[in-house]
Amino acid sequence: MNKVARNFFKNSIIFFLLGLGGAIVVVPLLWMLSTSLKGPDALFIYPPQWLPKPPVWRNYIDAWKMLPFGRFLFNTIFITVLAMVAELFTASLVAYGFARWRFPGRDVLFVILLATMMLPGAVTLIPSFLIWRNLGLLDTFDPLTVGAWFAWGPAYIFMMRQFLLTIPKEMEEAAIIDGANVAQIYWLVMLPMIRPAMLAIAVFVFQGNWNNLQAPLIYLNSMEKFPVMLGLKFFEQSLSKEAPMWNYMMAMSVLLALPILVLFFAAQRYFIEGLNMGATKG
Amino acid sequence: MFSPYLGTLVRWSLVGATMIALMYGTYKGLRLLKVRREAAVGYALILPWLLGLIIWQAYPILASFYLMFNEYDVLQSPRWIGPGNFKTMFFGDPRFWPSVRLTLGYSFLSVPLGMAGALATATLLSRNIRGVGFWRTLYYVPAVLPAAATALLWRWMFAGQGLINTVLGPVYRLLNIAPLTWFSDEKLVLPSFIIMSFWGVFGANTVILLAALKNVPKELHEAARVDGAPGWTRFWKITVPMISPALFYTLVMGMIGAMQNFTAPLFITTPGGVGTFLSVYIYQQGFTQFKMGYATAIAWFLLVLILLLTLVVFKSSPVWVYYEGEKKGD
Repeated sequence: MNKVARNFFKNSIIFFLLGLGGAIVVVPLLWMLSTSLKGPDALFIYPPQWLPKPPVWRNYIDAWKMLPFGRFLFNTIFITVLAMVAELFTASLVAYGFARWRFPGRDVLFVILLATMMLPGAVTLIPSFLIWRNLGLLDTFDPLTVGAWFAWGPAYIFMMRQFLLTIPKEMEEAAIIDGANVAQIYWLVMLPMIRPAMLAIAVFVFQGNWNNLQAPLIYLNSMEKFPVMLGLKFFEQSLSKEAPMWNYMMAMSVLLALPILVLFFAAQRYFIEGLNMGATKG
Repeated sequence: MFSPYLGTLVRWSLVGATMIALMYGTYKGLRLLKVRREAAVGYALILPWLLGLIIWQAYPILASFYLMFNEYDVLQSPRWIGPGNFKTMFFGDPRFWPSVRLTLGYSFLSVPLGMAGALATATLLSRNIRGVGFWRTLYYVPAVLPAAATALLWRWMFAGQGLINTVLGPVYRLLNIAPLTWFSDEKLVLPSFIIMSFWGVFGANTVILLAALKNVPKELHEAARVDGAPGWTRFWKITVPMISPALFYTLVMGMIGAMQNFTAPLFITTPGGVGTFLSVYIYQQGFTQFKMGYATAIAWFLLVLILLLTLVVFKSSPVWVYYEGEKKGD
């Protein structure tokens, strides 16, 4: 009886702590939602209104229409699709090379790959900018998409290699004996097996492109080419000049967080697997 | 006239096709040179990365190494000024050291604090309670929000009449002090950034540490319990050493990430720009002031800082990181 009581006590404390942490997570999110539905007069009412009366749903439409956000959304999707296809293709092939084929210098090259993961992007930023400028491709989508053919994102190669190391080789060996060439093995044998890792990487590539601000900021000048995050930066700047219109800013924040949240809930498994794929020692 | 989409689409396809052709060519060429089939395939497969390494890493590093000793405004060709940029940086630029201080302070405080929070949460979640999935998802939500959205949200929370000051109102009145102004107060910029990061970062680390905790063998805890070791001792002597590789990974990656904090500070305006992190400062110098040589010099300074920090963590790791299957020298 005593033990039961003690367990109950312990569990209550755990749930209390978890609930407290949960409240810290949830309250700002609710605040964001609630602000996004307020009229300009309701923003600074004391005590704060949690359920705006009446909720101003129009904020979302008005904020979206202040800048050509539809166009921005299309740009983000365009950039993401091109970058994702190229990146998944090259990252998986490179990882396949590192994981399964033996060649002189492989281990040294792999250490170099790991080292590039730690290199701050700021060091290569300006020379890369100059390369694109000399190619005459500033203010195009090329710097954000074409470079993906060069297997940028060493973390994805690393994740994929770690995943490949856990897959038995028998299938490939059987395929080789049957006379399949490398392209056939990759397409018919490897691709179906590495699907979970590909999906995990696709999720991260989407998240990365959706949130990317630095590269668009540097490479794109004309507004009709902006992706959504750069649009949000522009939006924030134009709203912050006088009194910031927090209801519009929160409405846009909710809208731009939404796709990522939906993706997260739909593909949670891949988020979590991907994280742990990178973290296990290999 | 090509639409911007079509132009990029054409060039993207051409580069992709060229890459595939080059991979095939590498294989055939190496075979002609009598290279073993296995090696030829290997080199062909890693070719995209290898080319990327040369074009987008090695060359830019060399170029930026040259550029940091130059004055360069893009319009005129670079002018060699030797260590001039470093002289300006260390002795003549009133904004440089505050930016370094902010960046370092942020990394040193936010990363360990975030890890402590993540470890505490992961420990609670690892106790076989009901609804682990629910809690894990809930705690992970702030980590998936776009950094820009998080930054705007917290700017609003920290605003003069924002939620935080409203909640703290009674405290201010009790202590009879003026409400804090957070991001608008030079002295409170760093603490405000740290509080914001604490909300945002520990979700991902919680997931990693939770997975590590699940892998700690139960027998170790059972044996220690039989020997009468109390919970706290078991935590420090068993749990922490067993998950130290995961702690090490999150510490290194967290530090490297925090040193390069860019998006969030870009969305937060501070008085006199005291909230300018080094990455933002590099961007401003290079792309709004067009001092590309100077910006490159600061970028190299950041690289050296990150290398030093990583080195310190790596050098100290034998003391506190325990890898199973490795002999410990005691």
